[in-house]
Amino acid sequence: MPSLRLILILGFAVATASVVRAQEIISFNEHIRPILADNCFACHGADAGHRKAKLRLDQGAEALSSREGIRAFAAGDLVESEAWQRIMSDDPEEVMPPPDSHKLPLKPEQRALIKRWIKQGAVYQNHWAYEPVTRPDLPKAVGGAKTNDAAIDRFIGAKLADKKLKLAPEASREVLLRRLTLDLTGLPPTPQEMDAFLKDRAPDAYDRVVTRLLASPRYGEHFARYWLDVVRYADTHGLHLDNVRNLWPYRDWVVSAFNRNLSYDQFTIEQLAGDLLPNPRIDQLVATGYNRSHLTTSEGGAIEAEAEARNTGDRADTTAAVWLGLTANCASCHDHKFDPLTQREYYQFGAFFKGLADRCWDGNIPKPGPIVLLADAQQQARIEAIARELPPLQAALSARAQTLPMMLPAPAAEAEKPATPSNTSADKPEKKAEPAPINYEVVWAEDGDMPVAANFGALAPAGEWCSGSTVPVVGGQRALRLEGAVNERVFTFATGETPLVVNQQAVAFVHFNADPARTPRAVSLEFVSAEKTKRYVWGDPAALRPSADGDVVVGPMPAAGAYARLEIPALAAGLASKKAYRGLRLTQSDGAAWWDHAGTTCTSAKALDDPLLTKSAWVRFMQSNARDLTTVPLPNDIVFLLGLSSTQQNDAEKKRLENYYRDYIYGPTRGALEPQVHAVRRLLAEQVHYELTLDASLIARELPEPLPAHILIRGQYDKPGERVQPATPAFLPPLVASGPRASRLDLAHWLVEPKNPLPSRVAVNRFWQQLLGAGLVRTPGDFGAQGDPPTHPELLDWLASEFMSSGWDMKYLVRLIVTSRTYRQDSRVDPALLELDPTNKLLARGPRLRLDGEVLRDQALAVSGLLRPEIGGAPVRPYQPINIWEPVAFGGSNTKTYVQDHGDALYRRSLYTFWKRTAPAPAISTFDAPSRENLCVVRGRSNTPLQALALMNDVQHFEAARAFAERLLAQPGDDAQRLAFAFRTVTARTPDRTERALLTEALITHRAHFAADTAAAAKILTNGEGKAAAAQPAPEIAAWTLVANLILNLDEAVTRN
Amino acid sequence: MNPCHDYLNQLTRRQFFAGAGLAMGGVALNLLAPRLRGAVTAEAGARIHPALPGLPHFAPKAKRVIYLHMNGGPSQLDTFDYKPGLQSQFNVELPDSIRAGQRITTMTSGQAKFPVAPSIFKFAQHGRSGAWVSDLLPWTAKLVDDIAIVRSVHTNAINHDPACTFLMTGSEIPGKASIGSWISYGLGSENNDLPAFVVLTPKFSSKVSAQALFTRMWSSGFLPGGHNGVALRAQGDPVLFLENPNGVDATTRRAMLDGLAKFNHHAQARHGDPETLNRIAQYEMAFRMQTSVPDLTNFADESPATLDLYGPDVKTPGSFAASCLLARRMAEARGANPPSRLGPTRQLARRSSPPVSRHGSSLLRARHRSKATRLARRHARRLGWRIWSHGLLAGDAHADQLRPRSSPALL
Repeated sequence: MPSLRLILILGFAVATASVVRAQEIISFNEHIRPILADNCFACHGADAGHRKAKLRLDQGAEALSSREGIRAFAAGDLVESEAWQRIMSDDPEEVMPPPDSHKLPLKPEQRALIKRWIKQGAVYQNHWAYEPVTRPDLPKAVGGAKTNDAAIDRFIGAKLADKKLKLAPEASREVLLRRLTLDLTGLPPTPQEMDAFLKDRAPDAYDRVVTRLLASPRYGEHFARYWLDVVRYADTHGLHLDNVRNLWPYRDWVVSAFNRNLSYDQFTIEQLAGDLLPNPRIDQLVATGYNRSHLTTSEGGAIEAEAEARNTGDRADTTAAVWLGLTANCASCHDHKFDPLTQREYYQFGAFFKGLADRCWDGNIPKPGPIVLLADAQQQARIEAIARELPPLQAALSARAQTLPMMLPAPAAEAEKPATPSNTSADKPEKKAEPAPINYEVVWAEDGDMPVAANFGALAPAGEWCSGSTVPVVGGQRALRLEGAVNERVFTFATGETPLVVNQQAVAFVHFNADPARTPRAVSLEFVSAEKTKRYVWGDPAALRPSADGDVVVGPMPAAGAYARLEIPALAAGLASKKAYRGLRLTQSDGAAWWDHAGTTCTSAKALDDPLLTKSAWVRFMQSNARDLTTVPLPNDIVFLLGLSSTQQNDAEKKRLENYYRDYIYGPTRGALEPQVHAVRRLLAEQVHYELTLDASLIARELPEPLPAHILIRGQYDKPGERVQPATPAFLPPLVASGPRASRLDLAHWLVEPKNPLPSRVAVNRFWQQLLGAGLVRTPGDFGAQGDPPTHPELLDWLASEFMSSGWDMKYLVRLIVTSRTYRQDSRVDPALLELDPTNKLLARGPRLRLDGEVLRDQALAVSGLLRPEIGGAPVRPYQPINIWEPVAFGGSNTKTYVQDHGDALYRRSLYTFWKRTAPAPAISTFDAPSRENLCVVRGRSNTPLQALALMNDVQHFEAARAFAERLLAQPGDDAQRLAFAFRTVTARTPDRTERALLTEALITHRAHFAADTAAAAKILTNGEGKAAAAQPAPEIAAWTLVANLILNLDEAVTRN
Repeated sequence: MNPCHDYLNQLTRRQFFAGAGLAMGGVALNLLAPRLRGAVTAEAGARIHPALPGLPHFAPKAKRVIYLHMNGGPSQLDTFDYKPGLQSQFNVELPDSIRAGQRITTMTSGQAKFPVAPSIFKFAQHGRSGAWVSDLLPWTAKLVDDIAIVRSVHTNAINHDPACTFLMTGSEIPGKASIGSWISYGLGSENNDLPAFVVLTPKFSSKVSAQALFTRMWSSGFLPGGHNGVALRAQGDPVLFLENPNGVDATTRRAMLDGLAKFNHHAQARHGDPETLNRIAQYEMAFRMQTSVPDLTNFADESPATLDLYGPDVKTPGSFAASCLLARRMAEARGANPPSRLGPTRQLARRSSPPVSRHGSSLLRARHRSKATRLARRHARRLGWRIWSHGLLAGDAHADQLRPRSSPALL
């Protein structure tokens, strides 16, 4: 065994040395920069603050120039090259890298490269990624590429020819179709699609399949998923409570953008700054959800400056990585050590996002503003009209409300209590003498009905509110006229935003004025409540419908022609203390009458605890009784304010909440405000109605005045340094600002400016990575000095230039790649090639890749026939093992308990599975999905026993196997034909003889087992919620289920060849 | 560190070895396979969770690490961190010189006063080291010479979420690799039947408003996903998807896996992809886990006397006591090597039943010594000096529930 180890080591040396052949010109970027970056740049690089000996080795001008007669590198002269002498030195005081850097001495092969580079003239190159994108000439058709092959193949072939290799033959048509279909749609081809392709021998058959797949709506779903990893989209906020976030319309926008083939430049502009486009459409606003997809919190005690700095940093880091391939975050504490990005530039870049109008807090609510409602044209017109009409009316109401005295205590003097009541009594005010109970009157109906958002658009209730000289009124200007038999008429006593609870006592009242000529035979009053309450009757009870909970006959009808005050007391009616009511229900038997001025006389023990008297009591009540505030019919921005603790609300927000309370909630002045408030309430209720019923998404809006941006010293949120303005890094082409302050829109344009060398390269590299398994640059998030240089720099440039000249046409780029011979190669690998190129950098074979968790799940659903085709909509909650969310959630979180959906929602594409950041779905995360807490430009491809367990045992996968079995049994033919069909449906190819024998053996084994153990067979049918078809005997279904389970676990099934 | 880079380096190394092995034919491959991260064959000495090449770079004293994260546990001030000077400061307003403008949480920020709350528990010095321990921990006090107490660890975060994330990953901002993932990544594990990094998640009543323990606290962050902590869960399958579906017994699963292995060997011959061999090994490991994990979580082979040592809660899955016992069983499980179908704990059971002393301390000490394992108690405080009272002081009821809580950690 030791001798074999030795052989291995020799093998390593040979393999490494073969990378650079003796006569090859050493390239600074390809060979030397990576060595210097790893070993030298930390002290001799871009970061001026930590530079040693004032020497930088990342730029030729400095490294090659003579200082006091010493040059770091002297062209062609090893003796004069001080750096070389230091690298070779034995003296610990002299040697580089120095021992205290904890870096190992350079390896012999690295030294050899540097030596030859110096001898060849020590030619520096600028960092490849920051040089303009060129359009290289096509190389000669070598390495298996032919003259009429695609440009991609010419570049790949040229490099292969260097290594005396050539492109592998094309994969079989079966393999090719499965590869292409999975890569473009994330789903396997159907047997019909395979048959059609196999039969189609026309030369353009493959191209037509590409066209078909690119046109499939599944294409957008599949490609969107990669982008959603990149921009860290999820359905929860991610921090602390990790509550629901309502951003899924953005996810659907991404799907649609890919399907519509929105150009990459427009794709960029709309996401970063769609809100700043002239007259943005709703979909362009939804696109700006990109700016809202980062982690947020509303944890009490979190610091605003810190949260704000983190949000800005996250936005800057993500944008820099996604479009520029920059590890910008390294420059948050000091100048970037390896790339020419200064700390100042980092904060200038972040400054573009300082104008975003969303607060740093999410309020723990699903839709922290700004949001856009997904309205149709008609609704949109109405919403805009409301937005125009409402402000002046609200201002007038506020002006009037300000003039009315409020009962104790005044809002300003309120003792604020913590938003989350603590579990000790220690911080409650010290005991004082109990104040006397307070009596006050709230008028709920004076000039009209209380508009209720939930009832918006419903039929108008009976009667008409009339005004005029002939209309008798108790208060205000109008009264309600009811005529004939009215079986039910409700005065709503709350718009739903205020919980009405009987405190010590509540007496509901209304004023009634019967028409002397047509006096009703009877009228009744009753509380609207979930409790059983008695009905109070005036007049003849026999004239009314029977009451369910009993009547109290008060007396005869009041005298006609004048208002009488009718009252019902809550306690006597059966509405106990602390019980809630929502209004007053009346009935009238025939005749005609005026009704007016309805409300409640309340008796409260303590004003401080009464939501109708004290703002803090109202806030507390809302927070404790409706913790996630999702369905509270209040304007969304008020819901947001309620979600903030008082320490999180800024002064303007405190004021806004106070005013809202005073104008709309505070009880005693309601009657007096009624004439002003009525129209406002109607409009507000309509607005809330739209907010509650229409889908909405988080978007970007710009503040009138952006927040100031500062350099944060050492990255500390509380150590702001110099103030900076938005700007882009100096080492990249300049940004053209449209105004005095460069805007987010300017940034977006700059990110797709063709002169910018990074965005096109970074984008084509990601597409390449997605389709070929690894990027031409294997560090897709780092195009800087620490990243890998491109394996095929000319090809990368050619693709980038082609992408831009196509008008950033994403489908065109995808087609370019998948129609290349490079993409279509067979993935088989022989040992010699595997040894020479283990990671397939040269692409002398097609890549063979383990499928992502989403694709594996979707594949199982697709072949079993369970997959639902619906696109988009709110996320779904399919099967998930118990106890995934529960152990990781806060008590108060609205994602603490996983409530699984049923029916079709179990079988939607995995793209639509609810993504909880602190506990992502195991079916997906087991296969290296990111948590979506941070940007992710590449997923790993691990191979673990947990994946094996998931694919064998997850009820989703096993139920799919069961449904697949039933589908197989419904197929015509004998066992052998069905087995072949099953194998082919999953792997897209016909089994060979060995495989046919193995399939038969598996079926016989399982069939024998389940025939003998019918109880076990019956149990097989109980996996999953879908009902098994009764047509087949259980042992037969069970045996085929195990065969299907086996086929879906094949290496070939979980891999794309 | 660049995660992508690092990940791809991993791949490169693995695939290189794989490739080189293949080039030298079947014999070499079999010898090399154990070197492949995640791959295993039946040869002696094979490790399914190998260390990074070159690690460990010095002779290790510890063989395993158990980290008890006691979210909301008793404060260091009432347990190990003796502060006699505080006694004279009882109910004195926290001086600005100490507070120095520090932030405080919503729990206490509404307070008008911040009275200093000294511990109400008696402290005494114990052991040869003379470490101070309060009388809350009489049994631990007897073991104190076997414990290293670290008092210096603290976070700047005052809130649970960032503070716990910091303790587990070294950064308040999510996305970094957790401590267990680093150990798995660097040192691997000698046990072939269990994952290298296992997390025991608690179970508590839904009525308890417990602190959240996010999965990011055992996430591999930017390290390869294979280093994620594998949660041994208190409810449901102990390991996700461990249990066979209804109607599938071990024999049926074995039959299915035998068929699968034949197919996959056939596929490997077709494609030459070394990852396929790895996959075969992972499926076999999965099957072994189906036996070894339930063995591990089944306490039937523990003597009543041993169970007693852990207290009455030990029989409640997900309780602290049950998790401690499970951790011990895992620490002792060597794993079958070469892999066998015999679960690790059954091997344990064959050893003599453990000696039991009255309070268990000598037993525990013996265990620790025999394993050359050292305990380090690490008191992680969420903020420098949390000596003021949560609420107002009354009499001597100013410990425990009134003290802003810490998150002690036993390493």
